[in-house]
Amino acid sequence: MIIGIDVGGTHADGVLLEGARLVAKHKVAVDQEHLSESIISLLGALVPNDRRQLERVHLSSTLATNAIVTGNLDPIGMLIQAGPGINPDFLANNGPTWFLDGAIDHRGHIIRDPDLRLIDEAVAAMLEAGIKSVGIVTKFSHRNSLHERFIADRLGARFPHICMGHQISGLPNFPRRVYTTWLNASLTARFAQFEKAIEQGLTQLGVDCPCHILKADGGTIPFARAIEFPCESVHSGPSASVMGCLALADQSEDAILLDIGGTTTDISLLVDGTPLLEPYGINIAGRPTLIRALNTVSIGLGGDSTVAFADDAFRIGPRRSGPPMAQGGTTPTPTDALVVLGLLAVGSAEKAAAAMQCLCPGEPPADTASRLLTAFAERISQEVAAMIDSVFSRPVYTVSALLQRRRITPEKLIVIGGPAAALKQSLENCFNLPCLVPTDYEVANAIGAARTQLTVQATLYADTADGRVSIPEISCLEDISNRFGMAEAESKLEQVICGIASDMGMTGRPTIDFLERLEMNVIRGFETSGKILNLKAQIRPGLADIQGEQP
Amino acid sequence: MTSFMPRALNRTALILFPAFDWCISPTHPEREERLLYTRDQLIEEGLEDVDNIVFLNPELASHADIDRVHLCAPSSHKLLTESHLISAGATLRVARAVMDKEADNAFAIVRPPGHHAMQTVFGDRGFCIVNIEAIMIEYIRRHYGVKKIAIVDTDCHHGDGTQDIYYNDPDTLFISLHQDGRTLFPGTGFIRESGGPAANGYTINLPLPPNTGEDGFDMVMERVVMPILDEFKPELIINSAGQDNHYTDPITNMNFTAQGYARLNQRLNPDICVLEGGYSIEGALPYTNLGIILAMAGMDYSHVKEPDYDQARFRQPEEMTKYIAGVCDKALEVFENRGKSKEEALKKKVVSERKNIFYDTTGFNVDEVRQYHLCPDCPGFTEVTATSPRARIHAYTVPFNACPTCQRTARDLFGATQPIPQTITALQDRVADIYETK
Ligand SMILES: [Zn+2]
Ligand SMILES: [Zn+2]
Repeated sequence: MIIGIDVGGTHADGVLLEGARLVAKHKVAVDQEHLSESIISLLGALVPNDRRQLERVHLSSTLATNAIVTGNLDPIGMLIQAGPGINPDFLANNGPTWFLDGAIDHRGHIIRDPDLRLIDEAVAAMLEAGIKSVGIVTKFSHRNSLHERFIADRLGARFPHICMGHQISGLPNFPRRVYTTWLNASLTARFAQFEKAIEQGLTQLGVDCPCHILKADGGTIPFARAIEFPCESVHSGPSASVMGCLALADQSEDAILLDIGGTTTDISLLVDGTPLLEPYGINIAGRPTLIRALNTVSIGLGGDSTVAFADDAFRIGPRRSGPPMAQGGTTPTPTDALVVLGLLAVGSAEKAAAAMQCLCPGEPPADTASRLLTAFAERISQEVAAMIDSVFSRPVYTVSALLQRRRITPEKLIVIGGPAAALKQSLENCFNLPCLVPTDYEVANAIGAARTQLTVQATLYADTADGRVSIPEISCLEDISNRFGMAEAESKLEQVICGIASDMGMTGRPTIDFLERLEMNVIRGFETSGKILNLKAQIRPGLADIQGEQP
Repeated sequence: MTSFMPRALNRTALILFPAFDWCISPTHPEREERLLYTRDQLIEEGLEDVDNIVFLNPELASHADIDRVHLCAPSSHKLLTESHLISAGATLRVARAVMDKEADNAFAIVRPPGHHAMQTVFGDRGFCIVNIEAIMIEYIRRHYGVKKIAIVDTDCHHGDGTQDIYYNDPDTLFISLHQDGRTLFPGTGFIRESGGPAANGYTINLPLPPNTGEDGFDMVMERVVMPILDEFKPELIINSAGQDNHYTDPITNMNFTAQGYARLNQRLNPDICVLEGGYSIEGALPYTNLGIILAMAGMDYSHVKEPDYDQARFRQPEEMTKYIAGVCDKALEVFENRGKSKEEALKKKVVSERKNIFYDTTGFNVDEVRQYHLCPDCPGFTEVTATSPRARIHAYTVPFNACPTCQRTARDLFGATQPIPQTITALQDRVADIYETK
């Protein structure tokens, strides 16, 4: 049995699943200040009497997200080494920053070692300022992590938390690496406290099974690992909802997933049944990051959004000003339209009709209502089209990739959230696609959290001319022979990913996808001097297999 | 709100298309690896997240876009691969971005390059098959009605293909800065090559001595390029942004730098840059391309320096400075005398020129005769006869700015011409956007 818990802004949902079967569900109000207590009380209501039946607890936590929103982050120091390129001064807008003067080039060659004096001065200043957590990032550290590790060694035990950029992600993009490392370092102490509180709570409940944290990429990591990489727990809400849709309406084609709430609609896309990921990572608090995440777009459009009518068009959202008029509010909302058309039975039908009269005086309320719902669906459809366009425009670098680009062509809509069922017809008409509203959708997020499995991503950069391979995610920088080839690179990366997965408690061999595979001859003076191999592989986000159930 | 990413002052559109799966041959300078390190540098810098910088994918040019400019034997269908259509198509995409005001300026970082491709095309020449700048310019003229355009070619090699295509067009100012043709392929680009009879003075060549560095380029920009542009008043400025003037380039002998290239582009302020050559793929291109982008975007490029950059290393000797000043004076003279030879030429009605074009990649020669049919009202049309060992082209080509009489005359002459076996007989009418062969 697995418990899945999805924590939202005001309440938390939990489910107890046996395989895919919903055994129990429960909901509690959440006090963000005392998050762990709310979670423990929810757990208490869900744990089966026979504790041994419980295999895992999966938790989507708002701790990191809230800390960021409220600016409640640990004071940290950043040591940044940029080398030649864009003026790096903008990176210091982030907080206390010390720039070092070493340099590494695009191939991972060390151009210049950092001046030790500058490091020592930074250390003294940070100690003076009482900084306990430090982030270290160099440009091209995914190609060569030597400088980051050297600087970390020099800092030694004087700082309890040291985060290095290369361990967080093997992807390129220096500013993103800086911001991700900053975020990670800023969350470390806070997250450790949270983990401790949850562990204690679980012990008190007599639960000793593994506890996993949900990530933004539709996967999980063990709690113990999340202590090192707390940034991974950010923005896991949309990921719970997407995985919930998958669990409730399994799908192997291109599809559109909608989570329609009171004030927002989250949109995501499935490509051949797999949730689409951001190319680099999400933006958090105005900062682009390398936190792997599902590609979701949230628009200010929901059942309780404020509606106005002007210039022959409805303006829906992005705000909510109180409840729908049917439920005693003062401004018309899409929910009122649903009530008028008899699609939703809440509040007063008369007040809902009055809402439609407010919008278009003199028109039959039913007409206004159905036009409003059409506008609502069209707004979503425009947003979906823009997402599909932007996925199609992602840069490609080879002739074959350019010629083989495929535009996502959704076959189906899967919709969850409060007004989902009531909006089914409008959405079907607008998209001209079948629309599926799964049962139990009110606990879809918690089910998503429960059914999600581990995800891992790692990258490999080998340069046989230099005789070296780098797998930044595990700080690997090893010598290789000049015969090192693609087959070896693939199996090495596969082993690394399996190793990480098994460290995280995965039993059995995961399916590994290679997302990028670049092989390039290095020619110097009309002679081949070696090969550059660049690979990226993952365990893709998906549902854990259920024992005894045919896939 | 604090901004966590820098913001470009100019909205700059980029196409970065390294074509990792295309090469002329595996060890050729124009090989898969050429833009690998440039890609790596630009992505690592986080340019994709800079406000106001937008990355676009290329599209494929159509054969009609090629035939509007070139006379291909046997045909553009047979000569061009998809890779060529993509690199040409990328220039069309950036042109649209600028013309439709999606962006203030744009840079197509693509390969293969194009500035050695002449109007007649029999194969690959100087790593180029088709002239991607010319294809873009005629596309812009066709779709946006732009007339006066300036091309500044800052590749180390003389842009002989671009010169050839616009030699007799007074509405296209072509300025080429390059290593002296006596010391480098293609061996042309002397000051005396100054334009056809209807456009004399609109081709400006600035052959620079080997080892010219930042000072020399600064001088040429300041004394010649900028004043001439001010006078010509183009509606668009295109930079054929080759980067093989770099001090580390393996196939040239100049001493230019990333800082120099960035400063040059800041001064030139081109609407569109198109990458041409540049074969120091590790030591130069990642830095020169970044420098040019930042200059175009109006961002600080002062930190873009090659790992071994040392400005003092390339101080230029007094004598070289004097020599370059002399080149500047002569080039200015050419421009000052522009248009003066047309009257004399008009008396002759038809002026013939003959040249030999060497295709270096596979090694053959083309004998070409151009007959400029001059007209008092327009630059006139041109009759081109070109013979390679395998094929022959006989064409009438009508420029975009031809008058109706010239357009009609060319069509009549084409109609009266008997097709000959093994010869492509063509009418290329850019006014009507027609390409016909028989
Ligand atoms: Zn060149
Ligand atoms: Zn005429």
